[in-house]
Order: sequence, then structure tokens, then C-alpha cells
Amino acid sequence: MEELMAILEEIRPDVDFETEKFLVKDGILDSFDIISLVGALNEEYDIEIQPVDLVPENFNSAEAILALVTRLQDE
Amino acid sequence: MDRIVLNWLDRAVQQYKDKTAYMDTERSLTFEEADRISRIVGAFLQGQGAVPGSPVVVMGARSVYTPACFLGVVRAGCFYAPADAEMPAGRLRQILEVIDAPYMIVSRMFLEKAQELGFAGKMFVLEEILEQGDPESYDPGPAERMTDNAPLYVIFTSGSTGKPKGVITSHYSLMCYIDAVQSVLGLDETDVLGNQAPLDYIAAVRDIYVPLYTGASSVIIPKNEFAMPDRLFRTINEKGVTTLCWSTAGLEIAARLGAFACEVPQKLRRVIFSGAVISNKALRTWQDHLPETRFINQYGPTEATASCTWYEVKEKAEEDTRLPIGRPYPHYKIILLDEQGKEPAPGQPGEICVGGPVLALGYYKDPERSAASFVQNPLNTAYRDLIYRTGDLGKYREDGLLEFLGRMDRQIKHLGHRIELDEIEIAALQVKDVEECCALYDAEKSLLYLFYSGQATAKEIALQFRAQMPAFMVPRKIKKLDVLPKLPNGKTDMRSLREMFS
Repeated sequence: MEELMAILEEIRPDVDFETEKFLVKDGILDSFDIISLVGALNEEYDIEIQPVDLVPENFNSAEAILALVTRLQDE
Repeated sequence: MDRIVLNWLDRAVQQYKDKTAYMDTERSLTFEEADRISRIVGAFLQGQGAVPGSPVVVMGARSVYTPACFLGVVRAGCFYAPADAEMPAGRLRQILEVIDAPYMIVSRMFLEKAQELGFAGKMFVLEEILEQGDPESYDPGPAERMTDNAPLYVIFTSGSTGKPKGVITSHYSLMCYIDAVQSVLGLDETDVLGNQAPLDYIAAVRDIYVPLYTGASSVIIPKNEFAMPDRLFRTINEKGVTTLCWSTAGLEIAARLGAFACEVPQKLRRVIFSGAVISNKALRTWQDHLPETRFINQYGPTEATASCTWYEVKEKAEEDTRLPIGRPYPHYKIILLDEQGKEPAPGQPGEICVGGPVLALGYYKDPERSAASFVQNPLNTAYRDLIYRTGDLGKYREDGLLEFLGRMDRQIKHLGHRIELDEIEIAALQVKDVEECCALYDAEKSLLYLFYSGQATAKEIALQFRAQMPAFMVPRKIKKLDVLPKLPNGKTDMRSLREMFS
């Protein structure tokens, strides 16, 4: 989780990822953030996030993003 | 003859009464309902003593009520100045200072933010106006006395440095543009537009006014769906969207996020784009998935009401494709001028200048900058003939179509050579796997920078430049980014990039 937090904070230092639970639903992360984030996650965790994974449920919170990463690493 | 956009609204209400004019994902408004809201807002402003011909700031949400509120301001005989609540507070303060409006209408969700801007006039919450308002007390007199060159809106151009410029557009200019774009698109009441542009931005005028002119409907797509491609095309299909008038950035994002892997738009017949030179890769992705769809490239500054030229893309975009910006729309006159103020020889570059009834009324409360940009056509010494100097370079191709060559003010002097930064960008975009890029010059260190995104490596770009360009045109700092920083209008944020100079 610490590693993920570092990635998130680098992209959006202005967002409190510990408390925000609706990052996409509330429009906190925009499309440009998602492009950057997907690139960073793919590289850092050696995974390939697919377009079908780009749904709000997978990106609404740091926990959800971590769950997505863990799932893709296990596959 | 139509005089103001309310003539269109009145006719649409008669012809298409119960048909949907605007929808978002939560609600929809028929033409009659949109008209009723416009009368409530108009009557409310009149009740407050709004003076016809004065500005009203509207800070609206991405909702069906926002375009209806714009029309309400017009009903009162006033003009609207839309403000984007997501803009930095400092910029919003500057805009409020320039427009100096007596009234501001805000969506409830932005009230807190708006209250922090130090607005000197009276502020009202749109939802409260709609709850209490009464359309019956509306007085149509002020709107009936408006002429066709009365201001319709003031839109502030973003991105430029210094004091924001408020471009004033008249009813007649806007109606000319909508008529022009409709002559190319040919929409009717069965069509549905999918709105992408922020409603306060010039690119949204098509989505707001085409329905009033043609009976089509507009869907306001939630902003967060552009981050989630699965949702984006599903919404487009659920709402039966037939037409997109998007920024190039909007098309590029959808292609990059792999939206077509999730779902393919089923009813899309026309895609019209503007704002920047589109990435060939993104355009090709759209073309490959939508072989039956028309793609139209547009060019034009806010100062000449949205877009002044158009080009229907018949060819498939390849790595080295350079789309022309095409030919002028009806109601638009285009001339090229060289540095001496004369027409350049055929095939030679010149500044793109626009004339016709589509020219803005100038910049709000800024006579100096208005006089510098809107000038007498130097080719005409016989009568008053204003043109707008775009600051863009263009040339006519042999087939008579206009080609865009970049910004004049992006010309730099590097190691004694004149270089167009746009030329460097166009060259970089032709390197395989470069998606977007921005060339900038650090004059202090005499360093040419290229920022880019895409799979290409800096080495590949440098090698291709060295193979094709003189050495002085090869960027010495080639920096890869996941994505280029953007301004609210989707254009590249060059100021943020400059901060990355090392």
C-alpha cells in the first residue's frame, strides 16, 4: 500500500488518498490522471491494465486500486 | 428573418414542443420545459432590476439546467458570461474583475466556491430561482427590442498569460456559425449530439444551439466518463448519439484509453473535431472502428465564432498524414496576409485573417487589445472592412485547400536560425509511436525542448530528426511524459511544461 500511495501522490499531490472513497465518481481523478496512473501502475507492478478494467469501481479509492493491482498480478 | 437566438427557441417550442432538447444522465428537458426555465430565469432577473444589455455571470454544473439558464439570461435582455467552477480561483477572480457583472447565478454545488471569489454583485442559486420563480411575470419587451448585433455571451479565452480576454459574440455571429456548421452536418430532429466540451467553453455552442435550430437533442456526458472508456461509449449507445462535436483532445483520450475495446458506438454518423492538430494515430483508431462515419476537421479562433474552415477527411490517416483545414464555411471570409500586409504569392505562407459577420464585437472592456486584433483589411481602401488577425500561419495547397502551419508567435530564433516550434511538433508527430508532443524553447540556455507521450523512445525521435532535419532543428532535450499537462480547454499547458526545464 505504501508503494501505491507514493505513486498516487506523485500524480496528484493535492488529493488525500487515505480518505477519498469516490475518486472517479466525484470527478477527483480526470481522464489525464487515469492515463498517467495506468502507465505508472503497469510499469511499477508489471501488469497490463485493460480498457475493461477502467471502471469507476476499480479506481474510486486507493484500496480499490490496490485490489485491482493484486488481482492482475495473480492472473 | 431571425434576429436573436430566442427566435429559434420560440420556433423549436412550436415545432418540437414535447421532444427532448437537452439531457444529462439524471434528467432531460423538452423544448417546452427548457423554454419555461428560460422564462423563470428571465422573469427573476427582471424582478431584480437587471438592466438589458448588461452581463450576468453563470457558474453552472454539467447539467441540463445550465443551457436553459443561459437562455434565461437572454430572455431578460442581458448576455451571459459563463464561468467554469473548476478553474483556479485566481483565474476566476480575474475574470469576475474584468466582467464586473451586477449578478451571478451559480449551481448550488458551486455556491461555496463562488462565495470565496469576492464577487461584488448579487449572487443567486439557480435551483432556488427555479423553485420559487414564476414564468408568468416575464416581460418579453427587452428581448424584443434587442438587435441582431446585441451581445449573446462573453467567453474568456484561457491559457494566455496576463489579463484574461473576454471575447464578445453577438446573436447574429453565433447564428451564422450554427447555420454554417449545419450546412455541413445536415442534422434533423432525429439526431442526438453527445456533448464533451465544458458548457462554458466555445466548443459547447454547437451542443447548446444546434438543437434550437434543428430540433435535434444534446446529451451532456458526465465528465468522469471520459476517464472511464467503458462508460463513455455505453452512454453514447444508450442515448443513441449520432453526432459528436468534440475537441481533438476528447477523441485522443477515448482512443488512448482503449474505449473501442469495450464497446463501439452504433449510431454515430458524424464526428467533427477542432482545437488542435489531431494525432494521426487517434484519428486512425476512430476511422478503423467507424468506417461509415463522416469525420470533419475544423479550424478557427473564438474571436471569429468557433470555427471558420472545415475539411471532410476522406483519406485514412497514416503516420505522415497532414490534414488540411480546408475551405471557409458559409458566412466566413478568409484571407492570407504576408508581413507587408499583402497577399502572399500562391503557395506561400501568410497570416490567416478572418472577415465577415462572424467577427466578435471585440474583447470586453479592452479597447486596446480589440483595436490591435480587429483591424481594417489592408487590401481594401474603399470602405470599412474589419478582419481578425488570428496570429496563425497558413498557406493554400495546390488543390486550393488551406493548410495550417502553426502559430506565428511560436517562431523562435535559435543559434541564428528562425524556427517554427510548430514545425518541430509536426515532425515529431510523424515519428512512429509518438502520440502527442509539445516543442518549447528555453531562451536562457538556448535549449530546444520536446515533450512527448507515446511508446517511442527519445533515441528513436532523435534519430529520425537527425535523418530529416538540419541539426539546429533537433531538440536537445527530449522528455517523455505519460501525458502532457492540459488546460481546462484541452490544449497543452505550456506553462507547466516550462516549469520542467532543468
